[in-house]
Amino acid sequence: MNRNMLKPLAIVLVLLLVGLTAACSTVTPTAAPTATPVPSEPVTIQFWHNYDAGAGQIDVLKTLIAEFETANPDIKVNQVYLEWSALKNNVIAGATTGMLPDVLRGDIGFVPQFQSLNVLYEMSSLSDYATVAATVMEAPNSSARMGDKFYGIAANTNTKILFYNKAMFTAAGLTVPKTQDEMWTDALKLTGSGKIGFVEAWTGVWNVGQYIWSNGGDVLAPDNSTATGYINSPVAVATIQKLADLYKAGALSGPSMDPGAAGDTDGWKAGTYAMEIDGPWRPSLLASSGIDLGAVQMPAGSAGSIGVLGGEDFMMFKTSDAKHQEAAWKFIKFMVDEKAQVDMAKVGQMPVNKAAMTNADALAAMPLLPVFAEALKTAKARPVTPKWGDMENIIATKVAEAITGQKAVQKALDEAATEIDALIAAK
Amino acid sequence: MPGNRSLSTQRRGVRQDVVRLLTLLLPGLILLGMFTFYPILKMFIMSFFNWRIGYQQTSDFVGLQNYLAVFSDPVAGMALVNTLFYAVVTVPLQMALGLFVAVLIHRITRFSVTFRLLYYLPVITSWVVVALLFRYIFNNQGLLNYFLKDVAHLADGPVRWLSTRWMALSATTILGIWKGIGWNMVVFLAALQAVPLEQYEAASIDGLGAFGKFRYITLPNIKGTILFALVMLSIGAFNTFTPIMVITGGNPAHQTEVVLTWMYYQTFSATGKMGYAASLSFIVAALVAGIAILLFRFIRPEGEGKS
Amino acid sequence: MKRARLSKALSYVLLALGAVVMVLPMVYMFTTSLRSNDATFSWPPRIFPTGSDLTFANYRYVLSEQNFVGYLSNTLFVAVVTTLATAVVASMLAYCIARLEFHGRRLLYGTIITTMLVPGLAMLVPQFELAVTFKLVDDLWGVIFFYSAWMTPFSTFLIKGFIDTIPRELDEAVRIDGGSIYTIFFRVIVPLASPSIAAVSIFNFLLPFEELGWSQTILKTDALRTMPVAITMFFQAHNRTDWGFVFAMTCCAMVPVILLYVLLQRYFITGLTSGAIKG
Repeated sequence: MNRNMLKPLAIVLVLLLVGLTAACSTVTPTAAPTATPVPSEPVTIQFWHNYDAGAGQIDVLKTLIAEFETANPDIKVNQVYLEWSALKNNVIAGATTGMLPDVLRGDIGFVPQFQSLNVLYEMSSLSDYATVAATVMEAPNSSARMGDKFYGIAANTNTKILFYNKAMFTAAGLTVPKTQDEMWTDALKLTGSGKIGFVEAWTGVWNVGQYIWSNGGDVLAPDNSTATGYINSPVAVATIQKLADLYKAGALSGPSMDPGAAGDTDGWKAGTYAMEIDGPWRPSLLASSGIDLGAVQMPAGSAGSIGVLGGEDFMMFKTSDAKHQEAAWKFIKFMVDEKAQVDMAKVGQMPVNKAAMTNADALAAMPLLPVFAEALKTAKARPVTPKWGDMENIIATKVAEAITGQKAVQKALDEAATEIDALIAAK
Repeated sequence: MPGNRSLSTQRRGVRQDVVRLLTLLLPGLILLGMFTFYPILKMFIMSFFNWRIGYQQTSDFVGLQNYLAVFSDPVAGMALVNTLFYAVVTVPLQMALGLFVAVLIHRITRFSVTFRLLYYLPVITSWVVVALLFRYIFNNQGLLNYFLKDVAHLADGPVRWLSTRWMALSATTILGIWKGIGWNMVVFLAALQAVPLEQYEAASIDGLGAFGKFRYITLPNIKGTILFALVMLSIGAFNTFTPIMVITGGNPAHQTEVVLTWMYYQTFSATGKMGYAASLSFIVAALVAGIAILLFRFIRPEGEGKS
Repeated sequence: MKRARLSKALSYVLLALGAVVMVLPMVYMFTTSLRSNDATFSWPPRIFPTGSDLTFANYRYVLSEQNFVGYLSNTLFVAVVTTLATAVVASMLAYCIARLEFHGRRLLYGTIITTMLVPGLAMLVPQFELAVTFKLVDDLWGVIFFYSAWMTPFSTFLIKGFIDTIPRELDEAVRIDGGSIYTIFFRVIVPLASPSIAAVSIFNFLLPFEELGWSQTILKTDALRTMPVAITMFFQAHNRTDWGFVFAMTCCAMVPVILLYVLLQRYFITGLTSGAIKG
């Protein structure tokens, strides 16, 4: 105790001061939050999105924003990347307080969910919405429709096709499967010595819906009134049973069934996975990996090849004032225009703009565009109902229980039907 | 004991010092009141409502319905059991190992600073980072499987460490123990340095061996620290979030959920069940408080009665 | 004597073995950060990269293309202000609770202890509402205020425990000399309790390098992100791959923290010797 006890405090203080000056010098310019805009200053709109940095989309976005800002010197766009679930969580947290962006580009599934939070701006009330909407494809844009009103506009669309590792197929002496049954048999044959035949990243309807639909089943009644007799129908049970058998044989994997499994991109890069039903982003994510990737339509089940309709919509929010809404709409129009859509196509975003779909540059950058365009013709949207998010979570949980063998498939899907029906019955 | 006169001077002094007292108290009171007490109170109120989030929406009072929902939710039960498992495994083991390391470091004369740093490294590394690291190591194609299969030939295929509930939870507890040893080492080292040397010397004369000294001198002397560590670590164990979130995300099918990850899931589930989440967190707080009180009952440090 | 030397040698051996276990994962992290992203999942996994594998590209990318310096200075700024604010507020509170008599003293202490039991993450929604009310969203001060409030209870608890061990006679002496409670606080309590203040300051300093849930909710703009948010966002934006980048980033982020610990570790232990120290 005879040591001078002020010494540690002095050291802390000196360190803190050094840190403080170091931090301040770089922080001060950025730390000041944007104050409420003075009329003469440019309008700054907040733009939340989940474009993929790994595929180079955020770099393209930054270039596009710079172009937009040059053309519209009175508007600044502050882009904020938020991962899929963080994007959703931030809107949920912001819904209580009105702390929301001016523009959001997010999953088409977010539209009914956010609309139930009463935060979305009805975009069909804009005078030139119909004109702009006419330049984009109708099917993807229908994802923004609730009743006869539109609460968004399509940003990009997608559905999923079969990707396969060519080298692994050649080594096993297999040809590309034509039917889903062949696909499952091939998955078994391709499995072994560290290789896994098939990967599914999740167990929601986004992932398993396509197999149920392709075999003539469905997950909900067409009018969304019940799940009983649909998610637990014999077709659905038989389909999930196939996946469960594959999982048991080690021929199907994915991080939501086995958290120790490599994520799909990691696994592709390592040459572990042989097949995946995936979207247009897949090739650009593997651009530098040296994997020779083949791609064909999703093999057909007994009722055809019915993929799931995916994609993102642009949304606007009630919380923005008129000035910000005007700027936001300008930015959205710029983003759905041919130029921006083609630039995004080059980094793996499938365009919704009709002109961009046939644009030579887009086709050159995305040789698979025709394959996807073909798949889109039969692609099916997931049910558009306000509680869909909760319903898909129930299905994802129960399907995971069934696939990983914690419950018999019939029992798990019966439980899913009961839980979903209870959700529909609740006000 | 100070005499009567000084006691009364002190009292009078305190009364005169009311303004000074307030200036010392107020910053803390304002900070805590605004940013801690108020949100807790608000949470408590929310737990009795079907808290409807959404812009300008109203919420209904539902009484104890949220609490009943927690008690009848099988996943909440599973999450609670998982959390208890994590606490029961990690707390005693990291304390025992940390104490063991502290005793060893206390005995040596050289390199003690180096060892302290090495053992403390996991503590000062953030949970996100170490959880990512362990996920990478426990991966089906990770380092651990490589050693088991290709180096030691203990397994013939990759062990799917994270694919089932108890295996995944065990992997997480290994991470928890590994990360916690350093903290315990520091805390116990501090306690060991405060044990009076004379007691050991007396014991040597009495012919007590190393183990005897540990049992009859060290342990009673560090009882207060053991209790402190036990309570702090138990609180910490019930607050486990990041390692589960990063390593399994509660998968597969919520099997590896702990209370906080489940609460987070409910808060941000599609419809945002804030009321449910709030009641769950109060149940957890009550549970932790109960455990803390029990611990104080069973291990009451003798020297602590003086305050 | 010979036995004593033998047991000492055994201590070194055991400690060294344990240290290997403790450090091995960190070494693995470091060496992975020196390999190219596409090689990080190659089989067999290697602890030490071979010569052809070795690359500093990840570090170059992280330090140049990513806003690393920005993230680090944000984190440092938050850490410094939080640590200072908490140290001041908590030591004042601790002094009042330990030494002064006022109405509701026990209630205040009890409340402070109880708040340590409520999981911090649970308060996310009401805290976010508060942050919006005070216009603290997307502002480093929003993080600082809440962090300070979170860390104050535990800091107060530890410092109070330490102050309890300082002999009251020292206060008396100052009193008799005519000093006020200010004088006692600055002349007696702060100097004598400084090891415990330093110890909690290290804990508090680490928080911004660690905490994710709150900072991720409140810091939206890339330029304002702290280290853990940046790392997580970076990992997610790269489709949860590119481990080489992530580990390079985390290795860099650890440097200031290690430096701080090395400089202060001596006081760390003294400061924690609460309750048992003999003055």
